[in-house]
Order: sequence, then C-alpha cells, then structure tokens
Amino acid sequence: MYTRSDDKISTTETSVFVTNSVLGAGILTMPRVVAAAAESPDLWLSVLIGGVVVILMAIVMAKLSQKFPGKTIFQYSRKIIGRPPAFVMCILLIVYFIMIAGFEVRVLAEVTMFFLLEGTPIWAILIPFIWLSCYLIFGGINAISRLFQLIFPICVLVLAVSYVLSIRIFDINNLRPFLGEGLFPVIKGMKSTVLVFAGFEVIMLLIAHMQHPEKAIKAVVAGISVPVILYFFTIVFVIGGMSTDAVLRSTWPTIDLLRSFEVSGLFFERLEFPFLVIWTLQMFCNFTCYYYGATIGISQLFNLKYRSVIFGVMPALYISAVIPHRINDVFEVGDLIGWSAAWLFFLIPLPLSIIWLIRRKGLKHNV
Amino acid sequence: MSRYPFKCASFLLLCSFVLSGCWSSKEIEEKSVYVGMAVDVAKKTETEKQLEAQDGITPVDSIITATIQIVPVKSVKGNQESGGGGGEKYLNDSETGNSIFEIMRKYALRRDRAVIGHHLKVFVISTDLAKQVEISTLLDFMLRDNDIRPSCMVFLSQNTAADTLESNQPDEIPAFHMRDMVLNKYRNNEIMKPVILTNLDQHLKSKRSFTLQNIAVFERETEFAGAGIIKGETGKWIGNLTQQDVSSISWIKGESEGGLLKSVNDHNKLITYEIKSSKSKVTPQVNGDQISFNVDIRSDGRLIESWDQEDEISKVYTQVNLEQDFEEELKRQLESLIKKMQQEYKVEVAGFGERLRISHPRVWNKVKREWDEVFSRAEVNFDIKLKITDYGSSTE
Amino acid sequence: MWNIFVEYFPGWKTWCQALATMLVAIGAFLIQKHLFAWGKDISPGEQQSDNKLQQLTGNYDTDLQMIKQQLSKNSDVHFRDFRIIIGSSRATLVFVEGMQDEVLINRQVMQNLMDGNFQRSEGYVVQNHSEAFAAYVKEKLLPISKISEVADLYELEQSILFGFTALLIDGLPHVLLVGEPTPKVRAIEEPVSEGLLRGPRTGFTEVLGENTALLRQSGLASDLVLKMVEVGSRVKRNLVIAYMDGIVNPDLLKEVEDRIANINMDFIADTGYVEQFIEDNWLSPFQQVQNTERPDRVINSLLEGRIGILLDGTPFALIVPVTFSMLLQSPEDYYERWLPGTLLRMLRFFVAFLALMTPALYISFISFHPGLIPTELTITIIETRQGVPFPSLIEVLILEISIEILREAGIRLPKPIGPAMGIVGGLIIGDAAVQAGIVSPILVITVAVTAISSFAIPMYSAGITLRMLRFAGMLFAAVLGMYGTIMFFLLICCHLSKLKSFGVPYVSPVSPYRFNDWKDLVLRVPITLMKKRPIMMKTQNKRRKS
Repeated sequence: MYTRSDDKISTTETSVFVTNSVLGAGILTMPRVVAAAAESPDLWLSVLIGGVVVILMAIVMAKLSQKFPGKTIFQYSRKIIGRPPAFVMCILLIVYFIMIAGFEVRVLAEVTMFFLLEGTPIWAILIPFIWLSCYLIFGGINAISRLFQLIFPICVLVLAVSYVLSIRIFDINNLRPFLGEGLFPVIKGMKSTVLVFAGFEVIMLLIAHMQHPEKAIKAVVAGISVPVILYFFTIVFVIGGMSTDAVLRSTWPTIDLLRSFEVSGLFFERLEFPFLVIWTLQMFCNFTCYYYGATIGISQLFNLKYRSVIFGVMPALYISAVIPHRINDVFEVGDLIGWSAAWLFFLIPLPLSIIWLIRRKGLKHNV
Repeated sequence: MSRYPFKCASFLLLCSFVLSGCWSSKEIEEKSVYVGMAVDVAKKTETEKQLEAQDGITPVDSIITATIQIVPVKSVKGNQESGGGGGEKYLNDSETGNSIFEIMRKYALRRDRAVIGHHLKVFVISTDLAKQVEISTLLDFMLRDNDIRPSCMVFLSQNTAADTLESNQPDEIPAFHMRDMVLNKYRNNEIMKPVILTNLDQHLKSKRSFTLQNIAVFERETEFAGAGIIKGETGKWIGNLTQQDVSSISWIKGESEGGLLKSVNDHNKLITYEIKSSKSKVTPQVNGDQISFNVDIRSDGRLIESWDQEDEISKVYTQVNLEQDFEEELKRQLESLIKKMQQEYKVEVAGFGERLRISHPRVWNKVKREWDEVFSRAEVNFDIKLKITDYGSSTE
Repeated sequence: MWNIFVEYFPGWKTWCQALATMLVAIGAFLIQKHLFAWGKDISPGEQQSDNKLQQLTGNYDTDLQMIKQQLSKNSDVHFRDFRIIIGSSRATLVFVEGMQDEVLINRQVMQNLMDGNFQRSEGYVVQNHSEAFAAYVKEKLLPISKISEVADLYELEQSILFGFTALLIDGLPHVLLVGEPTPKVRAIEEPVSEGLLRGPRTGFTEVLGENTALLRQSGLASDLVLKMVEVGSRVKRNLVIAYMDGIVNPDLLKEVEDRIANINMDFIADTGYVEQFIEDNWLSPFQQVQNTERPDRVINSLLEGRIGILLDGTPFALIVPVTFSMLLQSPEDYYERWLPGTLLRMLRFFVAFLALMTPALYISFISFHPGLIPTELTITIIETRQGVPFPSLIEVLILEISIEILREAGIRLPKPIGPAMGIVGGLIIGDAAVQAGIVSPILVITVAVTAISSFAIPMYSAGITLRMLRFAGMLFAAVLGMYGTIMFFLLICCHLSKLKSFGVPYVSPVSPYRFNDWKDLVLRVPITLMKKRPIMMKTQNKRRKS
C-alpha cells in the first residue's frame, strides 16, 4: 500500500516520542531540586541510579502494553479489572496528563517572560503555543512523530555544544570529593531524581501504535536512556561549573550556567540564546505529547470523535496553565506532579500487571 | 500568479494587528546600555542637592551612590556633534539612594532612555562602602535581576569607585579596559582569576572568606593593586593584601600561568626568574584536633634577567645555586602571606579549606563554621622545588 | 481548604480567555476545511457533447461542401483541387497555411498522384471497388510514413486546424490525413533558469515529440514507458506520463493517472496548470510538484522511482512526488565529486535557513532582545541607528519590498539593462537610503544577505516560497520577538510534517529516520556507496547496482 493511512509508527519513532515526553522543564530546575534534597556533589550518581529505576518502571509498563497489541491503556484496562475501576483509573491518568501539560507550558511562559519578553501578558505566550500544538495534533501520530524526529537531533546537538563550551568555567573540585559522605546523600537525592523523570506514562498508549510491538522493550529503554544521559551531563556540568552552593541559590541553574560565560568570537557570544531556542522547541514537543495523550484518552474513554476532543481539551489546558498564581505555586505543582507519577505507577501499571498475571495463571491453573 | 492576492490581503490585515500593540518591543537605540557600575558611600552631587531642595522630590536617606557608565554617547549620527576635546566615548551618571534597584529606577526620572544592564561587564565596590555594608546586600539586586548576566566581574577599589570608571585615553571605555586587563593574567600572577557573580554566589552561600581584586586609581590611571579581603562571617571588607600576597596565593593555588620571581644571588645582585609553569599540591594532615598542611610547589622557568655579569649562567652548578636563591625568596614570600592570614587578619583565603573539604570531608564538616579561627592555629609547611630549564638567548 | 479552592479558582476573565482559545481554533479549522473543499472542486469533466457528430458520407461533393461550410470562415485554410492519374478522379488537398511540409506535399503527394508510377492495369481494375481503391492508393501510391484515416467531420476539422493536411479523393470512403504538422521550433539549448557549470547543456523545447525523443535518447532503456493522454476539454493537448516500468510503484502510478484524468479545464496552457490541479494541498506555500527544463533531472528522478509528466507546448516537465530536500538539490551535485557536492549541499541548507529567518532574527534582536548580541556589535548598532525614524519592522518592510520590486522589474527589463539595473539598484538604493537616514547600514547588509541567499537556491519555485514566508516570519517576530520567531519556525515545521506529496511525507529523508536515504540528504556520499534506490519511494527494484 503506497499511502500509509494506518496510525503506526516505527521503533525509532517510538523511542524519540518517549524521549520527548520526559525531557521538559526538568532540565532547568532539576539541579536545584536535586541539590536541595541532598547537599552533596555526588548527585550525578543519584541521577544515574534514579534513571535505572525509571527504566525498570518503564519496562513494566511496556510489557503490560505488549500483552494487548493494538490497544491503549484506556482500552485494555477495562478488560483487566472491569469497567468502573478502569474508568476511575483512566480519568486519573487524563487529569495527570492535563496537569503536566499545563505545568510545562506555564514554566515555558515564566522563563520566556523573565528572560526574553518582559511586559508581554501571559496569554499572549500561552495561546499561540496551544494553537500550534492543536494544529500539529490534527495530523495524527505520524505527523507528530515526524516533527519530533526533525527537532530531536537539533536539540541534542545544541545542548551538547553548549555544555562542551561551558568547560571553560568547569572546575572538577566542585564535584569532589567522590562519595565523601558515603552513599547516604546519594540515596536521599534519589527521592527527587526519580520524580524528575515523570511523564513517561505515555508509553502505555504508545505501544498500541507501534508497527513492531515486539521491539517495544528496546524502544522504551532507548527512549528513556537518552534523557537519563542528558540529565546526567546537565548535573555534571551545572554543578561543576557553578558548585552546589551557587546552584542552590539560583532559580534556573542551567540558564545561569550558560550566562556565566561568554564565547567571544562566535556570533552567538551569549549561549543562552540558542539554548532558550532549543529549549522552547523541546517544550513544544513535550507539551504535544501530553496533549495527544489526553486527547486519545478522552476520545477512547467516552467514544468521541478525535477531532472534536482536540478542541475540547484546549480550555482545560489553558486553565491548568494559569491556575498557579506565583512562581512558588508553579514549583509546588512540579513537586506534586513528581509525586503523582510515583503514585500513579503504583496505582496503575503495577497493579494491572499483577492482576493480569494472576488471572492468567489462574486460567492456566483451571485449565 | 494567482497565489499572491490571498496572501497579500491577509498580510495587510495582520499588519494592522501588529501595529496596534506589541508589548515588549522597544527599539535598541531607544535604550541606554550601561557597561560598568560602581558603588560608593553616599555623597550627593551638587545637582542632586539642588534638585532635592525643590518641591516635589522626596529626599531619601542615602547609603549608596551608584555610578553607571553608559555607552555609546553619540546622540546624533554624523561627526559634527560629538563632544568637544577628544570626545569621550562614554558617559558616567551618578545617583544616590539606599537601594540599588531604586537607584536604577531613579534614572528614569532624569533620562529619556531606559538603562538596561544586559551588557554589564564590571562592578566596582569601594572598600569604604564594603567596610560598612555587607557585600551580599550590595549584590542582591545583581543576582536577582534578569538583565544582568552572572558573568559580570566584581572588583574592589580602595579609592572612590566612581573614579575607576574614568579614563585619560581617548577612545577607551574604562569598563572594557578593566575587563581586558584581567586577560593579562598569563603575564603576571599578581592578577587574580576574575571573580564573577556566580563565584560570589557560591562564596556568599558557604560563608567563607574570599578575596576580590583591588583597583587603585590616580588621575584617571587604574592599576590592579593586590586584593581586598572579605570576611565570611560578616560579609564585610577587613583589609587589603599586597600585590606580592596575591602572587603568593596564586603560587599556593597553583594558578600561576606566568609571572616573575625576583631575588638576589650570593653576590647580592638581582636575578629574575620567569615562570613557565607551576604546580602545587596541598596535602592536609589531621592528627586528632591538630590540622596541618604540606604544600608542595613545583615550577619550571627561565632565568630571564641577571644583573651579575661575572656569574657563569650557562653552567649547571650556577643554575642550581640560583634555584636555591629563588626558592628561599619564594618561601619567604609565602610565609609572610601565611603570617598575615593567620595573625594579622585571621582569615583563610588561599584555598586550604577547599583541600581539606575534598580530602577529609567529615573533619571539614566539623570545623567549617569556624574555619578562619581553626586555620589560624594550623601549621603550614612548604616544600618548594624550582627548576631553571633554560637561560634564554644569552649565555652570559 | 475551601479558602484555597476559592483563591485558586480562575476568574471570569480566565474562563473567557480559555473559551476564546477554543472558539478561535474551531473557527480557523472550519474556515480551512471549507476553503479546502471549495478549492478542490473535483467533478470529472463531461466529454464535450458532439452535436457535430456528423459522419462523412463518402461522397466527394457533399463532403467537400460540408468541409467548406465549416472552415470557410478561416482565411488561412486553403483548398487545392487536382486530378489524380487513376481515371482522372478529382482530389482536393485541404491545409492550413504555414504548417505543412512543402516538399512532402509537392513531391510525395501531388506528384505521385498526378504523375505516379503505377500499373495502369491494376488501376483500372480497382477503380470501381472503393475499398480496394483506397487500399491501392494508400499502399502503392503514397510513399509517406504517416497516414491516417478520418471518418467524422468534427475530428477532421480539428485535425486540419491543428496542421494536418487532408486529402479527399473522389471514390475513397474516408478522408486521408497525410503528413504531420511541423510547427516552427527553436533549437535545443541550455535552459535559462537552470544553468549548470558541468553537465549536459540540453533542455526541453515546446514540441512534445522532441521532448520524448530527448528522454529516449538518454540511453537504451526498454523499461522507459511513455504513456500519452489528452487533457483539456475545449482545446485538447497531448500529455505524456513517463515512468520506468520495473522500478516505479504501481499504486503511485495509478494515483497519478487518476488525478490527471480528473483535470477539468478548457485549455491547459502550461504544466503549471497541471501542477495546480494534481497537487495535494493547494493552501500550502510549499510546492508539492517539481518542475524542470532539464532532461537529465527527469531521467535521474525516473530511476529513483518517480514519475515524469510532459506537456505539449511547454518546455517545463513535472516530476512527482517531491520532497523537501529535492528542492535544494541540483544535478551538479552528482556530476562533481563527493566532497564539493557535500559542501555545496550544506551551504544550500544554510542558505535556505538564512533566506527564511534573517529578517525575523534582525527584528527580534533589534526590537526585543539587545542583550543577546555581543556588546561591541550592540554599541555599533546603537550608534548607526540614531536618527532612524521608523521601528525596525517598518524599516525592514520598506527595504524588502523595494528589493522585491527591483527583482520583478529586473525580469521584465531588456537584456542589456537587466543585470546593470540589479547592481545599480541594489547598491545605490541601499546607500542612498542610509544617507537619507531612512534605514540603518546593518539592515542593508541583512537585506542584501537575504536577497543573495534566495538566489542561491537551485529551484526558482522554492525560492519564491521562501520569499513569501519571510514576510510572515517578520510579522511573527514583530509581535513576539524571539519567541515569535521560534513559533514561526515551529509552524513551518508542523506544516511540513503534515504535508504529503502523493503519499510521500514531505519531510521524508529527514524523518522518519531512514539511514539509507540520508546518504543523499546533506551529505552526498561517494557514488560507489549509493547502492540502493530511496526507500521512501517504495520502488519495486531496490538496488541500483546489479
């Protein structure tokens, strides 16, 4: 068939989708959040270990979804535990997606208003963003994943270059002593690093769209390793360049790192400019992931047409973005999201997998 | 062909929307860029006093006088209108108040163009002011503002800070001049590594003592003259270190990229050693409550000047002798620095605390609150080895 | 608890904004849907009902009378009566002036019929049997390679007016069309709009026969299939669909044929008309069909599994489907070695980016973010912009529109003046504007860079697209600064991601990630490594090498 009209995406596209759902506002605030949990220069170890934990959680989700090929979580959850509890679960998931989407776009608006556009009202930043995302989602998952694949290499490249250029203020002493106070601070730090990876629940509805669902595990692991590695480098370079103390005093540590030096000779002497550009692009991709997740959820749960739901979700997203009044509220919402991710994992995929396994074993037993 | 009319019509419609209001748009020539800022103890200028005396202006209690250096000065294009007599390329403007942000906004009462701090390069604090006011309060606005980049350098000035922003060279902008002078660090190790706002953030949070490069001014000539010490607990300036002390600190920290060491040989004639490379290893040793440091300094260099014509420089035994002379001189300088730190000022600004933190983190956690005190009781031993690797083009 | 809820509950203004977001989006969607449907009015054209479906009677006098009735209005139609040698039957030649081959008509037709070599005995025998007579005339008397018979009047009239020469012979049941129209043609020369330094200097001409000949002459190819169809309802023209039989995907071929069959227009003047009828999305600023005058481009595309469309009367051929990267490729990339090819490709991508984004970036830096440019540059800009009375958007618009006017004017000027006008216009107008204080010098450089960049794009139509979009970018930048520029870039990326050209996603080589296709995208890897045809075309035969 020459024209592809089914909504299937390839394995690489799945990985890129998962990466984009995790990489978001965290890259700006993560160093400070993690450093506040454990004041130690060994936080990079927490990030790595936290990442491994997250990968395991993602594998659980992927395996669960693989058992129901072609069906998203909104469709197979009712098969496992019946309609009413599944309904509640799915509603929770949808509310969670809308909350994250609102949070991400609000952080984008805050940073843009602070560094780039002072004086612009917040709706002038939020509304075009939401419209643009709506325009993209209309094209279905194929258009979305094509855009992600376009933007992903640019983002990673610029990020890598920015970090490499920050070596000029990098001081290895800021990262020493290694394990000076033992493993305890590392464990304390893990509490927040795991929460930073919130958002990968989209895996549960993504695997239904894969062309080769048997490669789902590989795709998911690859998809989450990339943000783990990027966050690892972020923490190393931010703390190495600025030291833990300065990170704790800085609201947006990553941007402050890039503003702490100038590369004379290049046209972009000030590196926060390309960084903010790619970060905006990345936030767009991130936001689109959740917008898409919420849309699919509502349309499958209530049996509504996909196109109408896209419009219906827009006001919810807008309201979710403007509810926090101050910057403290925004950060609290961020923390709340982290906790919700942890709770949701123990509330949705884990019990579902266990119940499914029990039922299957039970069936086999009977037979 | 037939594609254009549709696009043109909607384009014209959009034009009208655009011209009605873009919120953050302000043309670049309608803003004043300031590249240097200096803060002094409050001293109102004549203009200010007169303006305050007139009705309608609220007199303010003043602690600080801030001076900003605005570039460029040309207000109209074309050469005929630049200010007479050499044509300075910058303009210094002062205001007095007791909050830096308030002072910044006060400029809006007098100037037609808003001042923006995106390109602020240099921030100079006078030692008189730093003696009275905590540094963290002075820097608070700078750290919070979204315009000012954390790459701005901070200096101290033992005279009026506003004078450092003057220059007697035509076409030179003092703020850039100071920023570029720091790049000469590879020529002379009496220049410190520049302290940017990010570093200050770190020092202020950890409440440790640190040094800031000091600038001396006379008749519009500026010079790096040693460093000023800011005590960690109080956050205020307590004294100055000489240029030689700054050089010693860079020896201890191993940051000397270039510079010289001057000594006299056995015949009391002047000899000079050019530093090509230097390394330093500070090893803390903890015995119960007693902390001591062993500092190993290794350096390679060149014998670059000798005022003794009779000495046979090309012979190795002469060089070994000279090395000893240099080592003695350096040890003398270092010990003078340690004495100053431990006895005169009772601070530690040479990086010993860092090394203790890395090698003995638990000990560090115990003593870090009173580190200045603890260090004044610590023992410091030096082991210096210099090597004269060559003697240049002249063998005599 | 309740207090917190009340405090954070959004006010009515927020609800209004949220609803406005949704309603405006719905409105825009509905407008676009209706526009799209309105523009793509597909109703297959009815065949022109021939009320003139008159058959020729076979009787010489009545037929001649009918023909004269139809065609006598035209003063350039000539009737030449003569008698043929067989039984002195009457014959008439009907032709339009200027279109027939004189030599053919005089020597091979008239001379042979009037005074030909023939067997008198045979001639007398067949004279009274019209079928045999017709066969004898055709097979023995007329040494012409192209002969056809016409039975109905309408077709005859059209053929005569198209340039065929008609021969009526008393006793023949049908009318013969002898010879082909030979319109005036120009020599084969290099196309003006697509010149290369290295490569064949041939270009298509306006005659379909010559163009198909050029394609066939590219090399021996039994796979190359040229299928002819007629388009246009009132004035019919021939259109050829070219493809490689063993390579092209059959679904793609069917799609192309269907779309061409659905074209409903009275006269197809140029392949541009065909393009606008068969493209997927007429609202998009990006072209989904490529046009070219070079035969080598067409052949290369055919070998990649694409389909070529040629039309009689125009030298521009179409290639479908097209992807974004093709618009930045030039055949010269392949004729040079891989290193210059790769570097030139990279330059072109950079140039496309510059042509699109530079004015928008200029506006955002000058009006919104002076803190993002290096300090020395900022100071210079402030100094030079003193006294400029306009905000940056207006300034940019003034100069950009002037450059567009100059460009259009340059196309119409006679050849000797054209290039000089371009240089003179550019330099002098820019300089004069700076002296008059209307614009700043930095802007002149920016605009000059943009203008030159758009000329460096190999496909003229792609250059036009970027020129248009540049203005949209400027508007976005003027409202929201750098954020607006980023939104604009994202908007274009989203649009490109959704766009498809005959089922192939427009951003194809870049995404979905197909590493084999990347060999020909930004890098141009050595020819020896290009073993496979592009995967995105889903060709039947995958390997280039045997």
